Amino acid sequence: MQLSLYVPGKTWVHRLDPITKLLAVLVAVVLTFVLPGFFSQAGILLVSLAMLGSAGVLRRAAPVLAGVFILPLTFFVVQGLVYPGNVHPAVALGPVVFYREGLLLGLSLTLRLYNILSAALILVLVTRPSDLVEALVRRGAPPRLGYVMIAVLQIIPIMVASTQTILDAQRSRGMETEGSLWVRIRAFLPLMGPLVTNSLISTEERALALEVRGFAGGGKRTFLKDEQIPPYAMAMRILVLAALVLGIGGRWLWGWR
Amino acid sequence: MALIEVQDLRYRYPDQQGLALDGISFSVEPGEFVGIIGPNRAGKSTLCQALVGLVPHFYKGAIGGRVVADGLDVHKHPVAEVARRVGLVFQNPFTQISGAKFTVYEEVAFGLENAGVPREEMIPRIEEALRLLGLEELKDRSPFALSGGQMQRLAIASVLAMRPKVLVLDEPTSQLDPEGTGEVFAAMAALCRQGMAVVVAEHKVERLAPLAGKILVLHAGRRVAFDSPRRVFAREDLPALGVAVPPVTEAARRLGWRFEDGTYPVTTEEAEELARKNLVAAGGGGGGRG
Repeated sequence: MQLSLYVPGKTWVHRLDPITKLLAVLVAVVLTFVLPGFFSQAGILLVSLAMLGSAGVLRRAAPVLAGVFILPLTFFVVQGLVYPGNVHPAVALGPVVFYREGLLLGLSLTLRLYNILSAALILVLVTRPSDLVEALVRRGAPPRLGYVMIAVLQIIPIMVASTQTILDAQRSRGMETEGSLWVRIRAFLPLMGPLVTNSLISTEERALALEVRGFAGGGKRTFLKDEQIPPYAMAMRILVLAALVLGIGGRWLWGWR
Repeated sequence: MALIEVQDLRYRYPDQQGLALDGISFSVEPGEFVGIIGPNRAGKSTLCQALVGLVPHFYKGAIGGRVVADGLDVHKHPVAEVARRVGLVFQNPFTQISGAKFTVYEEVAFGLENAGVPREEMIPRIEEALRLLGLEELKDRSPFALSGGQMQRLAIASVLAMRPKVLVLDEPTSQLDPEGTGEVFAAMAALCRQGMAVVVAEHKVERLAPLAGKILVLHAGRRVAFDSPRRVFAREDLPALGVAVPPVTEAARRLGWRFEDGTYPVTTEEAEELARKNLVAAGGGGGGRG
Protein backbone atom coordinates (compact mmCIF):
# COMPACT_ATOMS: atom_id res chain seq x y z
CA MET A 1 0.00 0.00 0.00
CA GLN A 2 1.26 3.42 -0.93
CA LEU A 3 0.17 6.53 0.93
CA SER A 4 2.19 9.10 -0.92
CA LEU A 5 0.99 10.20 -4.36
CA TYR A 6 4.55 10.86 -5.53
CA VAL A 7 5.20 9.81 -9.12
CA PRO A 8 8.92 9.02 -9.57
CA GLY A 9 10.63 10.57 -12.55
CA LYS A 10 13.72 12.32 -13.83
CA THR A 11 12.28 15.44 -15.49
CA TRP A 12 13.60 18.92 -14.76
CA VAL A 13 10.72 19.48 -12.35
CA HIS A 14 11.64 16.32 -10.44
CA ARG A 15 15.26 17.39 -10.24
CA LEU A 16 14.35 20.85 -8.98
CA ASP A 17 15.13 20.89 -5.25
CA PRO A 18 12.17 20.76 -2.87
CA ILE A 19 12.82 24.23 -1.44
CA THR A 20 12.61 25.87 -4.87
CA LYS A 21 9.42 23.97 -5.58
CA LEU A 22 7.99 24.94 -2.21
CA LEU A 23 8.85 28.56 -2.92
CA ALA A 24 7.26 28.43 -6.38
CA VAL A 25 4.10 26.89 -4.98
CA LEU A 26 3.81 29.47 -2.20
CA VAL A 27 4.33 32.33 -4.67
CA ALA A 28 1.70 30.89 -7.01
CA VAL A 29 -0.79 30.70 -4.13
CA VAL A 30 -0.02 34.24 -2.94
CA LEU A 31 -0.18 35.66 -6.47
CA THR A 32 -3.55 34.14 -7.14
CA PHE A 33 -4.90 36.26 -4.30
CA VAL A 34 -2.84 39.33 -5.15
CA LEU A 35 -3.37 39.60 -8.90
CA PRO A 36 -6.65 40.99 -10.15
CA GLY A 37 -8.35 39.96 -13.37
CA PHE A 38 -8.98 36.69 -15.11
CA PHE A 39 -6.05 36.78 -17.47
CA SER A 40 -3.39 36.88 -14.75
CA GLN A 41 -5.21 34.09 -12.89
CA ALA A 42 -5.47 32.01 -16.02
CA GLY A 43 -1.79 32.75 -16.66
CA ILE A 44 -0.73 31.32 -13.29
CA LEU A 45 -2.91 28.29 -13.90
CA LEU A 46 -1.29 27.76 -17.29
CA VAL A 47 2.20 27.93 -15.77
CA SER A 48 1.28 25.39 -13.10
CA LEU A 49 -0.34 23.06 -15.62
CA ALA A 50 2.66 23.44 -17.91
CA MET A 51 4.95 22.38 -15.06
CA LEU A 52 2.73 19.40 -14.26
CA GLY A 53 2.74 18.58 -17.97
CA SER A 54 6.49 18.74 -18.39
CA ALA A 55 6.89 16.61 -15.26
CA GLY A 56 4.70 14.04 -17.00
CA VAL A 57 2.07 13.88 -14.27
CA LEU A 58 -0.84 15.68 -15.95
CA ARG A 59 -2.60 12.34 -16.30
CA ARG A 60 -2.33 11.77 -12.54
CA ALA A 61 -3.40 15.35 -11.80
CA ALA A 62 -6.46 15.24 -14.07
CA PRO A 63 -8.66 13.06 -11.84
CA VAL A 64 -7.90 15.29 -8.84
CA LEU A 65 -8.71 18.43 -10.78
CA ALA A 66 -11.85 16.89 -12.25
CA GLY A 67 -12.87 15.44 -8.89
CA VAL A 68 -13.31 18.80 -7.22
CA PHE A 69 -15.53 20.28 -9.98
CA ILE A 70 -18.50 20.08 -7.61
CA LEU A 71 -17.05 23.00 -5.62
CA PRO A 72 -16.85 25.44 -8.58
CA LEU A 73 -20.33 24.30 -9.52
CA THR A 74 -21.62 25.56 -6.19
CA PHE A 75 -19.62 28.79 -6.64
CA PHE A 76 -21.43 29.50 -9.91
CA VAL A 77 -24.88 28.56 -8.64
CA VAL A 78 -24.67 30.36 -5.30
CA GLN A 79 -22.85 33.49 -6.49
CA GLY A 80 -24.83 33.67 -9.74
CA LEU A 81 -28.09 33.63 -7.81
CA VAL A 82 -27.48 35.54 -4.62
CA TYR A 83 -24.25 37.59 -4.85
CA PRO A 84 -25.17 41.00 -3.32
CA GLY A 85 -23.58 42.86 -6.25
CA ASN A 86 -25.79 41.12 -8.82
CA VAL A 87 -27.30 43.69 -11.26
CA HIS A 88 -27.29 42.42 -14.83
CA PRO A 89 -29.25 39.24 -15.54
CA ALA A 90 -27.24 36.86 -17.74
CA VAL A 91 -29.14 33.58 -18.05
CA ALA A 92 -32.68 32.83 -17.08
CA LEU A 93 -33.83 29.25 -16.54
CA GLY A 94 -37.56 29.75 -16.06
CA PRO A 95 -38.01 31.66 -12.82
CA VAL A 96 -34.32 31.17 -11.83
CA VAL A 97 -32.12 34.07 -12.93
CA PHE A 98 -28.32 33.95 -12.92
CA TYR A 99 -26.60 37.33 -12.79
CA ARG A 100 -23.48 38.34 -14.68
CA GLU A 101 -21.58 39.77 -11.69
CA GLY A 102 -22.12 36.64 -9.62
CA LEU A 103 -21.09 34.31 -12.44
CA LEU A 104 -17.91 36.32 -12.98
CA LEU A 105 -17.12 36.14 -9.27
CA GLY A 106 -17.74 32.37 -9.47
CA LEU A 107 -15.28 32.17 -12.35
CA SER A 108 -12.64 34.08 -10.41
CA LEU A 109 -13.13 31.84 -7.33
CA THR A 110 -12.89 28.79 -9.56
CA LEU A 111 -9.63 29.96 -11.07
CA ARG A 112 -8.24 30.58 -7.60
CA LEU A 113 -9.25 27.15 -6.41
CA TYR A 114 -7.63 25.47 -9.40
CA ASN A 115 -4.54 27.62 -9.03
CA ILE A 116 -4.03 26.51 -5.44
CA LEU A 117 -4.80 22.92 -6.31
CA SER A 118 -2.50 22.61 -9.32
CA ALA A 119 0.33 24.41 -7.54
CA ALA A 120 -0.04 22.06 -4.58
CA LEU A 121 -0.06 19.09 -6.94
CA ILE A 122 3.42 20.06 -8.15
CA LEU A 123 4.59 19.52 -4.60
CA VAL A 124 2.50 16.41 -3.98
CA LEU A 125 3.03 14.55 -7.25
CA VAL A 126 6.55 15.59 -8.23
CA THR A 127 8.34 15.90 -4.87
CA ARG A 128 9.37 12.85 -2.85
CA PRO A 129 7.95 13.55 0.63
CA SER A 130 11.13 12.44 2.37
CA ASP A 131 13.20 14.82 0.22
CA LEU A 132 10.96 17.73 1.17
CA VAL A 133 11.15 16.87 4.87
CA GLU A 134 14.90 16.36 4.72
CA ALA A 135 15.38 19.70 2.97
CA LEU A 136 13.37 21.37 5.74
CA VAL A 137 15.28 19.59 8.54
CA ARG A 138 18.56 20.65 6.92
CA ARG A 139 17.35 24.22 7.22
CA GLY A 140 16.58 23.95 10.90
CA ALA A 141 13.12 22.35 11.09
CA PRO A 142 12.92 20.13 14.20
CA PRO A 143 14.04 16.54 13.37
CA ARG A 144 11.25 15.14 15.56
CA LEU A 145 8.63 16.85 13.42
CA GLY A 146 10.36 15.61 10.30
CA TYR A 147 10.43 12.08 11.69
CA VAL A 148 6.71 12.12 12.43
CA MET A 149 5.87 13.36 8.94
CA ILE A 150 7.89 10.62 7.26
CA ALA A 151 7.18 7.77 9.64
CA VAL A 152 3.43 8.28 9.36
CA LEU A 153 3.66 7.52 5.65
CA GLN A 154 5.33 4.18 6.38
CA ILE A 155 3.63 3.20 9.60
CA ILE A 156 0.02 3.73 8.58
CA PRO A 157 0.21 1.00 5.91
CA ILE A 158 1.66 -1.30 8.57
CA MET A 159 -1.22 -0.53 10.91
CA VAL A 160 -3.62 -1.29 8.09
CA ALA A 161 -1.89 -4.65 7.61
CA SER A 162 -2.06 -5.46 11.32
CA THR A 163 -5.76 -4.51 11.33
CA GLN A 164 -6.26 -7.10 8.63
CA THR A 165 -4.40 -9.73 10.67
CA ILE A 166 -6.56 -9.03 13.74
CA LEU A 167 -9.73 -9.15 11.64
CA ASP A 168 -8.67 -12.46 10.07
CA ALA A 169 -7.91 -13.89 13.51
CA GLN A 170 -11.32 -12.80 14.81
CA ARG A 171 -13.09 -14.11 11.73
CA SER A 172 -11.38 -17.45 12.02
CA ARG A 173 -12.86 -17.78 15.49
CA GLY A 174 -16.33 -17.18 14.16
CA MET A 175 -16.84 -13.46 14.63
CA GLU A 176 -18.99 -11.82 12.01
CA THR A 177 -17.10 -8.93 10.49
CA GLU A 178 -18.82 -8.60 7.14
CA GLY A 179 -22.39 -7.98 6.14
CA SER A 180 -24.78 -5.21 7.04
CA LEU A 181 -23.68 -1.87 8.38
CA TRP A 182 -24.80 -2.90 11.88
CA VAL A 183 -22.66 -6.04 11.82
CA ARG A 184 -19.64 -4.01 10.71
CA ILE A 185 -20.17 -1.45 13.45
CA ARG A 186 -20.39 -4.23 16.04
CA ALA A 187 -17.16 -5.76 14.69
CA PHE A 188 -15.39 -2.42 15.07
CA LEU A 189 -15.18 -2.31 18.87
CA PRO A 190 -13.45 -5.66 19.45
CA LEU A 191 -10.98 -4.64 16.75
CA MET A 192 -9.96 -1.47 18.54
CA GLY A 193 -8.69 -3.22 21.70
CA PRO A 194 -5.91 -5.29 20.14
CA LEU A 195 -5.12 -2.64 17.55
CA VAL A 196 -4.62 0.13 20.10
CA THR A 197 -2.72 -2.14 22.52
CA ASN A 198 -0.47 -3.32 19.71
CA SER A 199 0.20 0.21 18.58
CA LEU A 200 1.04 1.39 22.08
CA ILE A 201 3.47 -1.48 22.60
CA SER A 202 5.16 -0.92 19.25
CA THR A 203 5.37 2.79 19.95
CA GLU A 204 7.27 2.18 23.16
CA GLU A 205 9.54 -0.36 21.49
CA ARG A 206 10.21 1.97 18.60
CA ALA A 207 10.93 4.84 20.99
CA LEU A 208 13.57 2.66 22.70
CA ALA A 209 15.07 1.67 19.36
CA LEU A 210 15.25 5.31 18.25
CA GLU A 211 16.84 6.21 21.57
CA VAL A 212 19.73 3.74 21.18
CA ARG A 213 20.35 5.04 17.69
CA GLY A 214 20.95 8.47 19.10
CA PHE A 215 17.78 10.10 17.79
CA ALA A 216 17.29 12.13 20.96
CA GLY A 217 20.89 13.33 20.99
CA GLY A 218 20.85 17.05 20.48
CA GLY A 219 24.16 17.29 18.61
CA LYS A 220 24.73 18.36 15.03
CA ARG A 221 23.25 15.97 12.50
CA THR A 222 24.63 14.98 9.15
CA PHE A 223 22.89 13.59 6.09
CA LEU A 224 23.65 10.54 4.00
CA LYS A 225 22.46 12.18 0.82
CA ASP A 226 24.10 15.26 -0.54
CA GLU A 227 21.58 17.92 -1.34
CA GLN A 228 21.21 18.09 -5.12
CA ILE A 229 20.41 21.58 -6.31
CA PRO A 230 20.47 21.86 -10.10
CA PRO A 231 22.10 25.00 -11.52
CA TYR A 232 18.79 26.27 -12.92
CA ALA A 233 17.20 26.20 -9.46
CA MET A 234 18.73 29.58 -8.60
CA ALA A 235 17.39 31.12 -11.81
CA MET A 236 14.02 29.63 -11.00
CA ARG A 237 14.04 31.07 -7.48
CA ILE A 238 14.96 34.52 -8.78
CA LEU A 239 12.26 34.32 -11.44
CA VAL A 240 9.65 33.26 -8.91
CA LEU A 241 10.59 35.99 -6.44
CA ALA A 242 10.63 38.58 -9.25
CA ALA A 243 7.12 37.49 -10.20
CA LEU A 244 6.05 37.94 -6.59
CA VAL A 245 7.57 41.42 -6.32
CA LEU A 246 6.13 42.42 -9.67
CA GLY A 247 2.68 41.13 -8.71
CA ILE A 248 2.64 42.89 -5.34
CA GLY A 249 4.09 46.09 -6.83
CA GLY A 250 1.65 45.99 -9.72
CA ARG A 251 -1.29 45.57 -7.44
CA TRP A 252 -0.47 48.18 -4.80
CA LEU A 253 2.06 50.56 -6.38
CA TRP A 254 0.88 50.84 -9.94
CA GLY A 255 -2.75 50.08 -9.24
CA TRP A 256 -3.40 47.17 -11.63
CA ARG A 257 -7.05 46.32 -11.65
CA MET B 1 40.51 -3.28 31.41
CA ALA B 2 37.02 -4.69 31.14
CA LEU B 3 34.77 -3.19 28.44
CA ILE B 4 31.74 -3.48 30.63
CA GLU B 5 31.94 -3.47 34.37
CA VAL B 6 28.74 -3.97 36.34
CA GLN B 7 29.03 -3.63 40.11
CA ASP B 8 26.27 -4.46 42.55
CA LEU B 9 23.57 -3.18 40.18
CA ARG B 10 20.16 -2.78 41.79
CA TYR B 11 17.13 -1.40 40.02
CA ARG B 12 13.45 -0.97 40.73
CA TYR B 13 10.94 0.07 38.05
CA PRO B 14 8.73 3.03 38.98
CA ASP B 15 5.49 2.04 40.74
CA GLN B 16 6.75 -1.46 41.48
CA GLN B 17 7.60 -3.12 44.75
CA GLY B 18 10.30 -5.70 44.10
CA LEU B 19 13.74 -5.16 42.65
CA ALA B 20 14.02 -6.04 38.95
CA LEU B 21 17.79 -6.33 39.35
CA ASP B 22 19.21 -7.19 42.74
CA GLY B 23 22.93 -6.88 43.27
CA ILE B 24 24.20 -7.96 39.84
CA SER B 25 27.96 -7.89 39.24
CA PHE B 26 29.85 -9.12 36.21
CA SER B 27 32.23 -7.88 33.57
CA VAL B 28 32.78 -8.32 29.86
CA GLU B 29 36.29 -8.34 28.39
CA PRO B 30 37.09 -7.25 24.83
CA GLY B 31 36.26 -9.94 22.29
CA GLU B 32 34.33 -12.01 24.81
CA PHE B 33 30.98 -13.70 24.09
CA VAL B 34 28.70 -13.64 27.13
CA GLY B 35 25.31 -15.33 27.20
CA ILE B 36 22.60 -14.26 29.66
CA ILE B 37 20.05 -16.93 30.48
CA GLY B 38 17.25 -17.32 32.95
CA PRO B 39 13.51 -17.87 33.11
CA ASN B 40 11.04 -15.19 31.99
CA ARG B 41 10.99 -12.13 34.25
CA ALA B 42 14.43 -12.98 35.61
CA GLY B 43 15.67 -9.53 34.59
CA LYS B 44 17.44 -10.37 31.32
CA SER B 45 15.89 -7.55 29.29
CA THR B 46 16.24 -5.09 32.14
CA LEU B 47 19.92 -5.94 32.45
CA CYS B 48 20.47 -5.55 28.69
CA GLN B 49 18.79 -2.17 28.79
CA ALA B 50 20.83 -1.17 31.84
CA LEU B 51 24.02 -1.70 29.84
CA VAL B 52 23.15 1.20 27.49
CA GLY B 53 21.43 3.34 30.09
CA LEU B 54 17.81 2.94 28.95
CA VAL B 55 17.53 1.72 32.52
CA PRO B 56 17.32 4.15 34.30
CA HIS B 57 17.30 7.09 31.84
CA PHE B 58 14.28 6.05 29.74
CA TYR B 59 12.21 4.25 32.36
CA LYS B 60 13.27 6.32 35.42
CA GLY B 61 12.84 4.33 38.66
CA ALA B 62 15.41 3.79 41.41
CA ILE B 63 18.93 2.64 40.60
CA GLY B 64 21.94 1.67 42.68
CA GLY B 65 25.40 0.33 41.94
CA ARG B 66 27.55 1.12 38.94
CA VAL B 67 27.65 0.33 35.23
CA VAL B 68 30.80 1.40 33.42
CA ALA B 69 30.88 0.89 29.65
CA ASP B 70 34.23 1.50 27.95
CA GLY B 71 35.25 3.88 30.71
CA LEU B 72 31.96 5.79 30.67
CA ASP B 73 29.71 5.87 33.74
CA VAL B 74 26.40 4.87 32.15
CA HIS B 75 24.27 6.41 34.90
CA LYS B 76 25.84 9.82 34.40
CA HIS B 77 25.72 10.01 30.59
CA PRO B 78 22.80 10.24 28.17
CA VAL B 79 21.75 7.15 26.20
CA ALA B 80 22.80 8.72 22.89
CA GLU B 81 26.38 8.96 24.15
CA VAL B 82 26.54 5.48 25.66
CA ALA B 83 24.95 4.04 22.51
CA ARG B 84 28.07 4.90 20.52
CA ARG B 85 30.04 2.51 22.73
CA VAL B 86 27.40 -0.10 23.46
CA GLY B 87 25.03 -1.14 20.67
CA LEU B 88 21.70 -2.65 21.68
CA VAL B 89 19.54 -4.90 19.50
CA PHE B 90 15.99 -5.69 20.67
CA GLN B 91 13.65 -8.68 20.42
CA ASN B 92 11.22 -7.45 17.86
CA PRO B 93 12.90 -6.86 14.50
CA PHE B 94 9.87 -4.99 13.27
CA THR B 95 9.77 -2.14 15.78
CA GLN B 96 13.49 -1.50 15.43
CA ILE B 97 13.07 -0.25 11.89
CA SER B 98 13.04 3.51 12.23
CA GLY B 99 10.23 4.04 9.70
CA ALA B 100 11.97 7.20 8.58
CA LYS B 101 13.94 5.56 5.78
CA PHE B 102 12.94 3.93 2.53
CA THR B 103 15.84 1.58 1.82
CA VAL B 104 18.02 -0.80 3.81
CA TYR B 105 21.05 1.35 3.00
CA GLU B 106 19.41 4.53 4.32
CA GLU B 107 18.15 2.68 7.39
CA VAL B 108 21.73 1.79 8.37
CA ALA B 109 22.63 5.46 7.91
CA PHE B 110 19.94 6.65 10.34
CA GLY B 111 22.00 6.31 13.52
CA LEU B 112 25.06 7.82 11.84
CA GLU B 113 23.07 10.86 10.74
CA ASN B 114 21.85 11.34 14.30
CA ALA B 115 25.39 11.03 15.63
CA GLY B 116 26.60 13.64 13.16
CA VAL B 117 29.10 11.35 11.43
CA PRO B 118 30.51 13.13 8.35
CA ARG B 119 29.18 11.90 5.03
CA GLU B 120 32.53 10.61 3.70
CA GLU B 121 32.92 8.44 6.77
CA MET B 122 29.32 7.23 6.70
CA ILE B 123 29.54 5.41 3.39
CA PRO B 124 32.43 3.03 4.23
CA ARG B 125 30.84 2.32 7.62
CA ILE B 126 27.47 1.46 6.08
CA GLU B 127 29.04 -0.74 3.46
CA GLU B 128 31.12 -2.56 6.03
CA ALA B 129 28.08 -3.17 8.26
CA LEU B 130 26.03 -4.44 5.31
CA ARG B 131 28.85 -6.75 4.26
CA LEU B 132 29.36 -8.17 7.75
CA LEU B 133 25.67 -9.02 8.01
CA GLY B 134 25.39 -10.25 4.41
CA LEU B 135 22.87 -7.60 3.40
CA GLU B 136 24.63 -6.06 0.39
CA GLU B 137 22.21 -7.54 -2.09
CA LEU B 138 19.22 -6.16 -0.20
CA LYS B 139 20.53 -2.63 0.16
CA ASP B 140 17.96 -1.02 -2.12
CA ARG B 141 14.97 -2.92 -0.72
CA SER B 142 12.43 -1.34 1.60
CA PRO B 143 13.28 -2.30 5.21
CA PHE B 144 9.69 -3.42 5.72
CA ALA B 145 9.87 -5.80 2.77
CA LEU B 146 12.47 -8.04 4.48
CA SER B 147 11.93 -11.38 6.22
CA GLY B 148 12.19 -11.51 10.01
CA GLY B 149 15.75 -12.84 9.97
CA GLN B 150 16.84 -10.27 7.39
CA MET B 151 15.16 -7.50 9.36
CA GLN B 152 16.93 -8.56 12.54
CA ARG B 153 20.25 -8.65 10.67
CA LEU B 154 19.43 -5.14 9.43
CA ALA B 155 18.85 -4.06 13.04
CA ILE B 156 22.25 -5.49 13.96
CA ALA B 157 23.90 -3.81 10.96
CA SER B 158 22.31 -0.48 11.90
CA VAL B 159 23.75 -0.73 15.41
CA LEU B 160 27.07 -2.03 14.14
CA ALA B 161 27.56 0.94 11.81
CA MET B 162 27.78 3.08 14.94
CA ARG B 163 31.01 1.13 15.64
CA PRO B 164 30.26 0.18 19.24
CA LYS B 165 32.81 -1.66 21.34
CA VAL B 166 30.19 -4.08 22.62
CA LEU B 167 27.09 -5.47 20.98
CA VAL B 168 24.24 -6.29 23.38
CA LEU B 169 21.35 -8.34 22.01
CA ASP B 170 18.14 -8.86 23.96
CA GLU B 171 16.58 -12.16 22.83
CA PRO B 172 17.28 -11.33 19.20
CA THR B 173 15.83 -14.57 17.86
CA SER B 174 12.72 -14.98 20.01
CA GLN B 175 10.42 -13.90 17.18
CA LEU B 176 12.27 -15.63 14.37
CA ASP B 177 11.86 -19.00 12.66
CA PRO B 178 14.74 -21.53 12.75
CA GLU B 179 16.19 -20.15 9.54
CA GLY B 180 16.19 -16.57 10.83
CA THR B 181 17.59 -17.79 14.16
CA GLY B 182 20.43 -19.51 12.33
CA GLU B 183 21.18 -16.33 10.36
CA VAL B 184 21.36 -14.21 13.50
CA PHE B 185 23.52 -16.69 15.45
CA ALA B 186 25.90 -17.00 12.50
CA ALA B 187 26.15 -13.21 12.39
CA MET B 188 26.87 -12.97 16.13
CA ALA B 189 29.52 -15.69 15.88
CA ALA B 190 31.18 -13.94 12.93
CA LEU B 191 31.25 -10.60 14.73
CA CYS B 192 32.75 -12.16 17.84
CA ARG B 193 35.45 -13.87 15.75
CA GLN B 194 36.38 -10.43 14.44
CA GLY B 195 36.99 -9.18 17.95
CA MET B 196 33.63 -7.62 18.85
CA ALA B 197 32.49 -8.26 22.41
CA VAL B 198 28.98 -9.74 22.30
CA VAL B 199 26.47 -9.97 25.16
CA VAL B 200 23.28 -11.83 24.32
CA ALA B 201 20.22 -12.69 26.38
CA GLU B 202 18.76 -15.85 24.90
CA HIS B 203 16.52 -18.81 25.69
CA LYS B 204 18.02 -21.09 23.05
CA VAL B 205 20.76 -22.49 25.31
CA GLU B 206 21.80 -25.20 22.85
CA ARG B 207 22.72 -22.48 20.34
CA LEU B 208 24.38 -20.34 22.98
CA ALA B 209 26.53 -23.06 24.55
CA PRO B 210 28.96 -23.57 21.63
CA LEU B 211 29.53 -19.81 21.20
CA ALA B 212 29.59 -18.35 24.68
CA GLY B 213 32.81 -17.96 26.62
CA LYS B 214 30.81 -17.24 29.73
CA ILE B 215 27.21 -17.58 30.76
CA LEU B 216 25.42 -15.39 33.27
CA VAL B 217 22.44 -17.07 34.91
CA LEU B 218 19.78 -14.78 36.33
CA HIS B 219 16.86 -15.67 38.54
CA ALA B 220 14.44 -13.18 40.09
CA GLY B 221 16.85 -10.33 39.42
CA ARG B 222 19.76 -12.07 41.14
CA ARG B 223 22.93 -13.52 39.69
CA VAL B 224 22.90 -17.30 40.14
CA ALA B 225 26.10 -18.05 38.24
CA PHE B 226 28.64 -16.43 35.96
CA ASP B 227 31.00 -19.02 34.54
CA SER B 228 31.96 -21.08 31.51
CA PRO B 229 29.06 -22.93 29.84
CA ARG B 230 30.37 -26.33 30.97
CA ARG B 231 30.53 -25.30 34.61
CA VAL B 232 27.21 -23.44 34.48
CA PHE B 233 25.31 -26.32 32.89
CA ALA B 234 26.86 -28.80 35.32
CA ARG B 235 24.98 -27.13 38.15
CA GLU B 236 22.31 -29.31 39.73
CA ASP B 237 19.99 -26.45 40.64
CA LEU B 238 19.17 -25.19 37.13
CA PRO B 239 15.97 -27.21 36.47
CA ALA B 240 14.55 -26.11 39.82
CA LEU B 241 15.18 -22.48 38.84
CA GLY B 242 13.41 -22.98 35.52
CA VAL B 243 16.62 -22.55 33.52
CA ALA B 244 16.87 -24.67 30.39
CA VAL B 245 19.90 -26.90 29.82
CA PRO B 246 21.10 -27.95 26.35
CA PRO B 247 19.48 -31.32 25.42
CA VAL B 248 22.91 -32.87 24.85
CA THR B 249 23.97 -31.92 28.39
CA GLU B 250 20.77 -33.37 29.82
CA ALA B 251 21.33 -36.60 27.89
CA ALA B 252 24.95 -36.82 29.05
CA ARG B 253 23.86 -36.28 32.64
CA ARG B 254 21.39 -39.16 32.42
CA LEU B 255 24.00 -41.37 30.83
CA GLY B 256 26.60 -40.30 33.38
CA TRP B 257 29.03 -39.10 30.69
CA ARG B 258 31.27 -36.70 32.63
CA PHE B 259 34.55 -35.02 31.96
CA GLU B 260 37.25 -35.47 34.59
CA ASP B 261 36.41 -32.11 36.15
CA GLY B 262 32.86 -33.29 36.79
CA THR B 263 31.23 -31.22 34.04
CA TYR B 264 29.07 -32.53 31.22
CA PRO B 265 29.45 -31.85 27.50
CA VAL B 266 27.42 -28.83 26.31
CA THR B 267 27.79 -29.30 22.56
CA THR B 268 27.40 -32.29 20.29
CA GLU B 269 31.11 -32.10 19.40
CA GLU B 270 32.11 -32.33 23.05
CA ALA B 271 29.68 -35.19 23.59
CA GLU B 272 31.08 -37.05 20.61
CA GLU B 273 34.64 -36.55 21.81
CA LEU B 274 33.74 -37.76 25.29
CA ALA B 275 31.82 -40.74 23.96
CA ARG B 276 34.78 -41.85 21.83
CA LYS B 277 37.09 -41.49 24.80
CA ASN B 278 34.71 -43.53 26.98
CA LEU B 279 34.52 -46.21 24.34
CA VAL B 280 38.30 -46.38 24.08
CA ALA B 281 38.54 -46.60 27.87
CA ALA B 282 35.98 -49.41 27.83
CA GLY B 283 38.50 -51.41 25.83
CA GLY B 284 38.94 -51.56 22.09
CA GLY B 285 35.84 -49.49 21.36
CA GLY B 286 32.53 -50.57 19.92
CA GLY B 287 33.86 -50.29 16.37
CA GLY B 288 35.03 -53.86 16.17
CA ARG B 289 31.68 -55.36 16.81
CA GLY B 290 29.96 -55.50 13.41
